[in-house]
Amino acid sequence: MCYLFPMKIAVAQIAPKLGDVEANVGLHLDILEKARKQRAGLVVFPELSLTGYTLKDLAEEVALDPAADPRFRRLVARTKGLSAVVGFVEESPSDPGLLYNAAAFIADGRIVHIHRKVFLPTAGIFEEAKFFAQGRDFRAFDAPCGRTGLLVCRDFLQFGSSYVHYAAGAGVIICVSAAPGRGVGDGDTFETARMWELMGEAVSFFATAYVVYANRAGSEDGVTFAGGSFVYAPGGRLVARAAAVDPDLLCCALDPAAVARARKAWLFKRDEKPEAVWRSLERIVRASED
Amino acid sequence: MPPKINPAFVEKVLVRFIRDEFARCGCGRGLLGLSGGLDSAVCAALAARALGPDAVLGLIMPYGRAFPGDVRDAVALARRLDIRAETIDIAPQVDLYFASRPEADRGRRGNKMARERMAILYDHSAREAGLVLGTSNKTELLLGYGTIYGDMACAINPMGDLYKTQVRELAAHLGIPAAIRRKAPTAGLWPGQTDEGDIGLAYEEIDDILCRLVEGRGSRREIIEAGHASAAVDLVLRRVRSSQFKRALPPIAKLSTRSVGHDFLYPYDRER
Repeated sequence: MCYLFPMKIAVAQIAPKLGDVEANVGLHLDILEKARKQRAGLVVFPELSLTGYTLKDLAEEVALDPAADPRFRRLVARTKGLSAVVGFVEESPSDPGLLYNAAAFIADGRIVHIHRKVFLPTAGIFEEAKFFAQGRDFRAFDAPCGRTGLLVCRDFLQFGSSYVHYAAGAGVIICVSAAPGRGVGDGDTFETARMWELMGEAVSFFATAYVVYANRAGSEDGVTFAGGSFVYAPGGRLVARAAAVDPDLLCCALDPAAVARARKAWLFKRDEKPEAVWRSLERIVRASED
Repeated sequence: MPPKINPAFVEKVLVRFIRDEFARCGCGRGLLGLSGGLDSAVCAALAARALGPDAVLGLIMPYGRAFPGDVRDAVALARRLDIRAETIDIAPQVDLYFASRPEADRGRRGNKMARERMAILYDHSAREAGLVLGTSNKTELLLGYGTIYGDMACAINPMGDLYKTQVRELAAHLGIPAAIRRKAPTAGLWPGQTDEGDIGLAYEEIDDILCRLVEGRGSRREIIEAGHASAAVDLVLRRVRSSQFKRALPPIAKLSTRSVGHDFLYPYDRER
């Protein structure tokens, strides 16, 4: 029996204003209202949606404590009757001086979960580990859309991250992203867009889970974000895909019962042996420490 | 060779880039030097699409009557794109300077001309409250085939990640006239000068070597094994290595615990 109801979700492929939290809160509130009018039950914003991505030393100026910051609290208060995922720079009183690239799952006026990005890309055009502290945990949580796992951008490309959420029973894996477009060939979008969809398709198939990928639009310092947000249903079925590069509001249905159906049709979850994976990983980690 | 591009998609990305950058500065007007050549024609067409033709000013800055054909092509292009254009002859100010420096070779004279054009562009940038659009392509930037603080000076550069051969593809898509697309590329520093004559290789060969080196991360040996003459590969490698200073800001001697250019790091696009 599945006790969760189908809902409409909205992926907000926005172009936040770099370094301007106040303006971005306004943008979020506008989109929440728009999504509410379309009867969306979940609105997913991209990575660092409240701040913009290419922050560098601005990170410390835009960092906030989600429990206390009045702008964040205003946003949380406006989620009555729906859920939202927002990206921000977190600096909590429990961890003073440490800045995290974080995403919060907010539901019905309450912060349900905060995920701190674990894999901080730092090579080539990426320099996150220069400015952010590393998250250390993947923890699935219960949400109105069912058991959910949250990932931030590069987390999703390290495929162990999705596995942990899957092992914890997540039927919805949400990845918020600020993925720059790289590589132009003869296609209609950047070549790197394929990489995200490939992972989305594979994870949704083998984890028999929804994959919601919210990327951003716009450009910063000459880098154009590729857009192309998407939703895959369990079993690798593409439900919807947003425009490349341009801002978009992608609305589609999410039916938690589809997870149960897929897990009856494909028995990967039933036959999964996390204890075998755990024992093997433990041995590998121990060996690498010797 | 560099990959074939989908010019419609590249146009969309570059138009968005120009719009975003101008919007951030609260600036609606753009200007650029129009040489009558391919790169400035493509940049003008992108700017006209991004900002609207009325908001774009093309400055045609010939040295006397050295290149009448190029001036004609530049004027015709501005008319075709419906952008504003002004022609300013730089010969008087250049000649005045070199009148007392007769020993200056054509390299010095060429660089001086490029910097005079830059100074005129930036003066007009203040007059127009507009931003200067750069027209250097990736091939030029990698080879260092440009005058530092001359034609390389700009507020934003929409074309710096397109190889010359890709600029040609984009030009055809944007409807740049064949007269401009087919002429031999030249920096226009002295009569008879051509890029390919200067550098000593055809753009197709240069771009193939550069793309194997940059995107392909190939070694000298691998690029030669792919079929290029070792002299050609060495020439390109030498130019790339020796021109690094043109692609970076000058180093600042570090003294304090937090210094400009080292660890005082803010995005260019910080909200202004």
